[in-house]
Amino acid sequence: MIDVIIVGAGPAGLSAANVCAKNGLKVKVVDEFMKAGGRLLGQLHEEPDGTWWNGIEEAKKLSEDAQELNVAVECGVSVHNIKQEKSYWKVYTTKGDFKTRALLLATGAAETSLPIPGWTLPGVMSIGAAQVMTNVHRVRVGERGVVIGINILSAAITRELQLAGIEVSSMYLPGKNIVTEDAAKPLSTMKSMLKVASLAPSKLIRLGSYFMKYESLQSLAVRFYPKNGMKVWGMPVHLRKAVLEIVGDKKVEGVKVAQVDVNGEPILSTEKFVPADFVCIAGGLYPLVELAAISGCPFQYIAELGGHVPVHNENMKTPIDGLYVAGNITGIESAKVAMKQGAVAGYSISMDLLKTDVNIEDQLQQAINHVKQTRNQATIQFHPDIHSGREKIHASFKNTLRTDI
Amino acid sequence: MDSRNTEVLIIGGGVIGAAIAYYTAKSGMEVTVIDKGDIASGTSSRCDGNILAIDKEPGFDSQMSLESQKLVDQLSKELDLDFEYRAPGSILVCESEDEMIAAESWVERQKKAGLSFKMLDRNDIKQESPYFADDLLGGLECETDSTINPYLFTYSLFHGATKYGAKVMLRCEVEGMSRDSVTGLFKVNTPKGEIIAKKVVNAGGIWAPYIGNMLGLDIPIKPRKGHIIVASRDMPVGMRKVMEFGYLMSKFGKERTVDEETDKYGVALVFEPTESQNFLIGSSRQFVGFDTRVDMDVVNCIARRTIRFYPKIADFIIIRTYSGLRPWTPDHLPIVSPVEEIPNYYIAAGHEGDGISLAAITGKLMTELLQDQINTIIPTDPIRYSRFKNVSTIQT
Amino acid sequence: MSKGRIIDHPILGRLDEREEVHFTFDENKLIGYEGETIAAALLANGERVLRCHEETGKLRGIYCNIGHCMECRVNVGNQKSVRACLTVIQEGMEVKSGRKLPTPFKKGETQ
Repeated sequence: MIDVIIVGAGPAGLSAANVCAKNGLKVKVVDEFMKAGGRLLGQLHEEPDGTWWNGIEEAKKLSEDAQELNVAVECGVSVHNIKQEKSYWKVYTTKGDFKTRALLLATGAAETSLPIPGWTLPGVMSIGAAQVMTNVHRVRVGERGVVIGINILSAAITRELQLAGIEVSSMYLPGKNIVTEDAAKPLSTMKSMLKVASLAPSKLIRLGSYFMKYESLQSLAVRFYPKNGMKVWGMPVHLRKAVLEIVGDKKVEGVKVAQVDVNGEPILSTEKFVPADFVCIAGGLYPLVELAAISGCPFQYIAELGGHVPVHNENMKTPIDGLYVAGNITGIESAKVAMKQGAVAGYSISMDLLKTDVNIEDQLQQAINHVKQTRNQATIQFHPDIHSGREKIHASFKNTLRTDI
Repeated sequence: MDSRNTEVLIIGGGVIGAAIAYYTAKSGMEVTVIDKGDIASGTSSRCDGNILAIDKEPGFDSQMSLESQKLVDQLSKELDLDFEYRAPGSILVCESEDEMIAAESWVERQKKAGLSFKMLDRNDIKQESPYFADDLLGGLECETDSTINPYLFTYSLFHGATKYGAKVMLRCEVEGMSRDSVTGLFKVNTPKGEIIAKKVVNAGGIWAPYIGNMLGLDIPIKPRKGHIIVASRDMPVGMRKVMEFGYLMSKFGKERTVDEETDKYGVALVFEPTESQNFLIGSSRQFVGFDTRVDMDVVNCIARRTIRFYPKIADFIIIRTYSGLRPWTPDHLPIVSPVEEIPNYYIAAGHEGDGISLAAITGKLMTELLQDQINTIIPTDPIRYSRFKNVSTIQT
Repeated sequence: MSKGRIIDHPILGRLDEREEVHFTFDENKLIGYEGETIAAALLANGERVLRCHEETGKLRGIYCNIGHCMECRVNVGNQKSVRACLTVIQEGMEVKSGRKLPTPFKKGETQ
């Protein structure tokens, strides 16, 4: 029997593993990817103080600590089922089945897709796919591409592509359809960029900062948005143009772009072909929760957290015995917050399994405070109302317990 | 809080609510749809996608499906958004002489009811797919059966409905409902404000009894769980829907000669090639309340059953599995009906595993009922709510 | 080193020297590097097409690159439907793209 199995070797999973191991627990971490680090692996951005946040280095540090603490980190392993037995969890993986006293799900997030005609053509990929190719594999995704979807994630990754010498000719809105909804509306896109602008690293989102000046005049700003886009790092960002179709025979050859009105409706006869050899689709992130769903854990839809999240409390415990969650599975936030949440889960698990240790309780409280501090200082905030989202999910944990009795 | 008025309020954003919204809005009525979650977030996204007559009781049931098939064919032409509609027909396969005999009488009865059914022999089955087990004796075919993608279908219907002016409010749970005894108007409380409706359609699926209970109704619908495997298409196993004849037995709760576990989980082979080149493989039937956890024991049992019929696909990759809850009624027929004791209150729910098959006909019929039409597209007696009146306790 | 790779990077620095890995893709001999995925090695060699829609033949490549979308399925040796984005390339690996499947049946034709 293992003390703790952690699914996901990202910032949350590894941080939790290291805390558990420090407390003397036998820990195993599994991850589908061939390298530990999760979404840390692609991240690269400039902090407000001018230093660089290099996710690969951060992942390396966490992995090295894990190795020193004898945490078994196994990559290339998929978990296809989990099952609660009387006093333990059974975890079914592609490399065998394991029993564990505590189970932490730190599976992170996945990307929302924006289905646009032509999106299955080779050369179309999610923006996160391009990030991993570029920064982790160091493979060029193409020579000259376009990004569809304007949000904080696509802005940050587009900058990373540029750093690697890959040209992104423009960022556009997705063409409006029943699925793209808000992402296709100029005003709501601008509003969401505006909300994050004040928090973003100085150079990250010039676009948002530009519109800060127009806060009271947002719809006016959208109406008079320049036809050639606003330039960010020399690249035009188009809030009034949308990609209606991705074009190509055997692979991407370009996109069909049209001007859109303030509501995102395309204006006929403004269609233009823009050549590209790759296209990135950026629909934003949502918590990756399948394993929590098959565990029977209750869920709550909380827009501020990015979608459906498993109900949990500040200690990262779910209402299900022995089941914990940490990182983006609990809501979309930065890797720094995920690391702190992982530590909370680590202390929480240690306290539950070791029972008597009073010292751990203090450390747990401290770790919870660290999450809050990190959240308050976050330079990248995926949702401006993250605090209210957190309050809602913690409240629903209390309600769940009440209705269970 | 906001207050809004609507002529027709449809509760439920699944495929049934979608079809009713489309046809009512198209007929010129003012329609609002509310759902506690998202579009197709309940049973309509945890199912497979067929418009089948092959598995319907000959007579009223299969006629209702046939009408629905015709409507879906029309919808595939009139709706803007494609929903992966194909009409390749479907087949049932038999593994024993007894099943072959039962199949023959099934075909005869369907033909008498005017449907395009025919028997298949061992050779026909081999032609259908070389991947079938050698010992299968034959089966039967329904030529008109069609396949769709259930949530594209639901989205497409809502897209069409909104073009005719329907309003769709999501994450808008019914928190309470009352009926003003003087005006006869319904007052529905939601997190997005109060909705005043002249007419209410309860299309809540497995939650229909909960909604009905708010006005004191006892709607005999219970969740009946099912599992589906999504498998990768590594070989050209077949092009159309295949079911084992035993599926009918399982569906109607009749006795089968299968092993204990297969019987316990109500497992019977249902095999559906999708347009996106996966196979959806079912099925199971269990009464386990509202528990939607995937039970790997059931999944394994379905996989074993699949290999019994298709031994050569044992090494196919399973992409995912999911489970959902069918809204079951005691006589396996839906409730599509006004409620006599509450004027202007209607129910469209309880389609068990036939929600996709019968959505279109349900939408069309409900529109006629809402407009008090006397000549309806199909007879309404077998699916009236009042048929359960004298049943004091419902057995599951 | 091929032009498909990012050798120098202003922040991440120069790419480390790695061992070459020889593999084939639909019988073409290609070179990748140890520790990288099939998807990465193929893209670095300019191969974007990994499979096709088995019925219509429409071409497909990687989409999510994290094992979620299942679009990048390839056949490796005798193993079918392997996710190229999660599978590490090995010396001598025989990778085959997914092909259009025949639909040789008398009935049920959808065309």
